[in-house]
Parts: sequence; C-alpha cells; structure tokens
Amino acid sequence: MTAVTRIADILDMLCRIAIGAVFAVLIAAVAIQVYARTFTSSSPIWTEELARFMLLYMAAIGAGLCLRSGDLVNVDIIQDAMSERIAWWMRLISTILTAGLAALMIAPAWRFTSIGAMQTSPSLRWSMDMIHASVLVLAITLLVFSLLRAIGMLAGTDDGRAQFAEEE
Amino acid sequence: MELFWLFGTFLITLALGVPVAICLGLASLAYIVASGMPLVIIPQRMFAGIDVFVLLCIPGFILAGNLMNGGGITERIIRFANALVGWMRGGLGMTNVAGSMLFGGISGTAVADAASLGSVLIPGMKKSGYPADFSAAITAASSTVGPMIPPSVPMIIVGALSGISVGQMFLAGAIPGILMGVGMMVVCYIISVRRNFPRQEWKGARELVASFFSAFWAIAMTALIVGGLMSGVATPTETAIVAAIYAFVVGAFVYRELPIARVPKIVIDSAVSSAGILALVGFANVFGSILSAERIPQMIVSAVLSITDNKFLVILLINLLLLFVGMFMETIAALIILFVPLLTLAQAVGIDPLHFATFAVLNLMLGLTTPPVGVCLFVCANIARLPLLPVVKAIMPFLLSNIIVLLLVSYIPAISTWLPTTLMAR
Repeated sequence: MTAVTRIADILDMLCRIAIGAVFAVLIAAVAIQVYARTFTSSSPIWTEELARFMLLYMAAIGAGLCLRSGDLVNVDIIQDAMSERIAWWMRLISTILTAGLAALMIAPAWRFTSIGAMQTSPSLRWSMDMIHASVLVLAITLLVFSLLRAIGMLAGTDDGRAQFAEEE
Repeated sequence: MELFWLFGTFLITLALGVPVAICLGLASLAYIVASGMPLVIIPQRMFAGIDVFVLLCIPGFILAGNLMNGGGITERIIRFANALVGWMRGGLGMTNVAGSMLFGGISGTAVADAASLGSVLIPGMKKSGYPADFSAAITAASSTVGPMIPPSVPMIIVGALSGISVGQMFLAGAIPGILMGVGMMVVCYIISVRRNFPRQEWKGARELVASFFSAFWAIAMTALIVGGLMSGVATPTETAIVAAIYAFVVGAFVYRELPIARVPKIVIDSAVSSAGILALVGFANVFGSILSAERIPQMIVSAVLSITDNKFLVILLINLLLLFVGMFMETIAALIILFVPLLTLAQAVGIDPLHFATFAVLNLMLGLTTPPVGVCLFVCANIARLPLLPVVKAIMPFLLSNIIVLLLVSYIPAISTWLPTTLMAR
C-alpha cells in the first residue's frame, strides 16, 4: 500500500467517524423533539435548528466520501464505450475538474463564512460563521479526496473508479 | 452567450463522466465567470439549497430502509409475497412484483429495492427454471414501484422544490404505485402462461397467516409512516426518525437478526448516501437559481404556449420530454433541474401541482429501467450475470405496462389527487 492510499484510507475513516457523529446528533435532536412534544407539555425550539445544521455538515463531510464510494453518481456510458486507455484519461480529467471546482470554491466559501460572523442563529444563538463554514468544509473534503484520487491515478495505485461499498 | 457556457459546460462534463453534482457546479461556475458575477453566489445558493427543513427526512428514511434490510426483512417479505401470490402461474415473478410493492413501503429508493430483492429473487428464479433475462427484467421493472409507494426520496425532493406537503405527495403516489404493480402482475401472468413458467403449490392459509405475522412488524412500518403523516401528529422529519428508531428496535429486538455491532456501519453508510443526494441538491440549487434568473421557465412556457395551449397536448409534451431526459439523467438531478420550469408550464394550462408532480416522478422512474442509463437495469443485469441487451429486450412488455399506467395517471388526475384530498386537508 502506498502513502497516498494510506492517507486516503485514514481520511476516509476520520470522515466516516465524523459523519456518523453528526448523524447521531441529528437523530438525537429530532428524537428529543418528538419525545418532548408527545410526553411533556413543552416543545424545545432549538432542536429543529440543530437538526438542520447537522444536515448541512452531513452533506459537507460526506461530499468527499461520496466521491470515493460512488454515491456521487455520474453517467459513465461514454467512458464504457471507449478503450481503457481513453477511459482512464476521461476519469483523470473528471477528477481534475472536480478538484478544480472545489479549489475555486474555497475563497468564496471563506467569504461566505465570514459574512456569517455578523449573524447569530435565532434559537441556538450560535454565530452563523460556524454554520456557513459547512460549505467551506464541503469544498475542502471534495478537494482533498479528488486530489488524492488524481495523485493515486498518476502514481498507478488508483484506477480512478469509485470504490463501491461491499455488498452485505 | 453566458447561457451557452452554462449548457455547454454541463453537457461536455456530463459526457466526460464527471459526477452530475459536479457538472452542475462547473456549469454554474462557467456561467458566473462569463457574466462577471461574484463567485460567492455558489456557496450562498448551495447553503440555501441544503438548509431546507423538508430535506431533513431523507437521511431518516434511508436509514430506516437500510436498518430494516439489515434486520432480515427481505426474506420475510419474500416469504409473505410468495404465500400470497406464488401459487399463480409464474409464481416467483408474481412474488417479485408483490415483494417490490411491500418493500416500497419500507425503502425510499428504487435502487435499494432492486438490489435487496434482486440479490435473493434473481438467483432463486433462475434456480426454479425461469430464464435469467426475464428474472432480471421483472426485478428491475418492479423496483420502480418503490418510490411511488410511501416513503419516497424523489417525492421528498419534489416537496422541497415546490412547497407541496410531503404527506400529500406520499399519498398521491400510492394508487399509481399499486396500479403499476397490478399492471406488471398481469403482464407477468400473460408471459408465464405463454412460456409455460412454473407455479408453486398453494401452501395453505396457515402459511399465509404465518408469513404475514412473520413480516407484520416490517409491513407495519409503512402504516406507521403514512399514519404519522396523515394524522398531522408528526412532521415528515419526525416520522422519518421515528421510523428509523422503529426499524432498529424491530431488527435488533423483535426479529433479533440485526447485530448491534453492524448498526454503526449502517448509520454511516446511510449518512454517506444521503450526503450524495444533498450535495446534488446543493449544486443543483446554484444551477436552478441561474435558470430562474435567466427566466428560462418563462421562456419554456411561452415557447410551448406559442405552439399549443391544449392541456392534453401539453401533458403529452411534458411526458415526452421527461421520458427523454430520464433516459440519460439521474432521477433526482433531472427533478431538481426540470421540476420548477415544467411546473410553471403545467400551472399555466391549469394542471394541479400535485397531479403534475405525481406523473412527473412516475415518468422519471421509468428512466431507471430504460437504456442507456437505467440504474436498476444495470443492477439487475449485474446480479443475473447477463449483458444489458437481453435484459433490455425482456423488460419491454413491463415498460409498456408502466407507460400505460403513466398515461392513465397523466390524463386522469383523480388517480393521484383523490387519496390525498380525501384523507388530508389541503
């Protein structure tokens, strides 16, 4: 296993732990909401906001993982019709374009994050830059995983295809 | 000229094999750069697209389906479906369709349905003497029923895009979903009689009752979801999370077939699948906001209305366009890009939004089983270890039956609107 694959696997694992934690908080927030509304007279107002924020971070952390797992669907009909050599080049260009979009998004996402510093969320009173930063995280995870794939392809350790999850 | 950059970039990157979400992002980027607008629009519109309350129910329903699936539910549903319809000619084919209808009430996507039922039923049908192409075709075709019967990920997306209540969308799909199932059973029966496919013995009322109770807690989840939404006690998000907790309790403690150690992996995989949909929604929102800024929906409306304002023809045109797009594009991406422009057109000729939304989703479902980009077709051909072509040939009669249902739903609004208007206040 090369260093690139090892780095990708470690980042993959870290992102998976993070996305699992985010989903757990989302489930807990909604469960508290249901419990409070059904069994007590009060209904917390912060749960909905927290759940929505977690959804944003779920998309942000998951974007890179999706690229790796193939959950970010693509149309590969033309690639399949080409010779393996041309298909490899098409996959490399796709990966570089993905990295390019993610890289170009970082500066505007940073700006968008700083705009959030001027606002606080209505019920949790959190500074919105923390929440706006989810788009920055999305751009970064996408950039990191697409760059790792591109390097892996050039080093010959990655064929550039999605690694579909093993069927259970 | 800027629009040329938008559509040109989109089509070229799509053809290259770039993920659809990224194609939408790159196309929007090209447009924004060409028109000299600030790039901050991209993160802004993405954020606004994902920060939508209704979308919160997507991860919940995906998790509920995956937990049920991990908890041994597939075999129970197949056993019940088999006891119910397996004694008819072409029994396992019938079981396949009935299984998809029951499974549709648990999972929200057709691909999940095709993969779960297909991995058990396709090998089973082949072993019982059914041709592999027929087995793969009927599994792929019947899986499209899944997103019509509640819960349904495409219906949630439509709710998020149009503001139609998710509960009403779910109910609107139910009767069309049942019609699709019944239609495919009729086709299966006719083919089975002509080709003399086997039937199984009637296993008796005792097995029917026993298999029903064995699958009861799984089937009850559909009732929980529909009941929760109809009564108005819970929001769709709450219903989705309650369904996921319910699925966990049933799998781990009632059926005892869901090992607790596997739950974290199922939770994470469900989150990653949801993130894929959410990222798509985010990038598509950037693209969509450019379309509306450029007044593309209005252009489509006036272009179509200059040809005809006949409702009958407009419905036909919308269906032809969606069938064509559905052949090449992923359902959710197609929905996000086309739904709002076409809804504007539909409303201009007096089509009820709920009615329009139902036939639009049904139409795009058919694209999952048509070449060249039918995901369910690929999944099933893969399980049957067949090339695509024989499965495409074998699926034609089922596709025809589904197109007939599409026409019925398109031209008889009551098929979709009667149930939600009767059961829920609009």
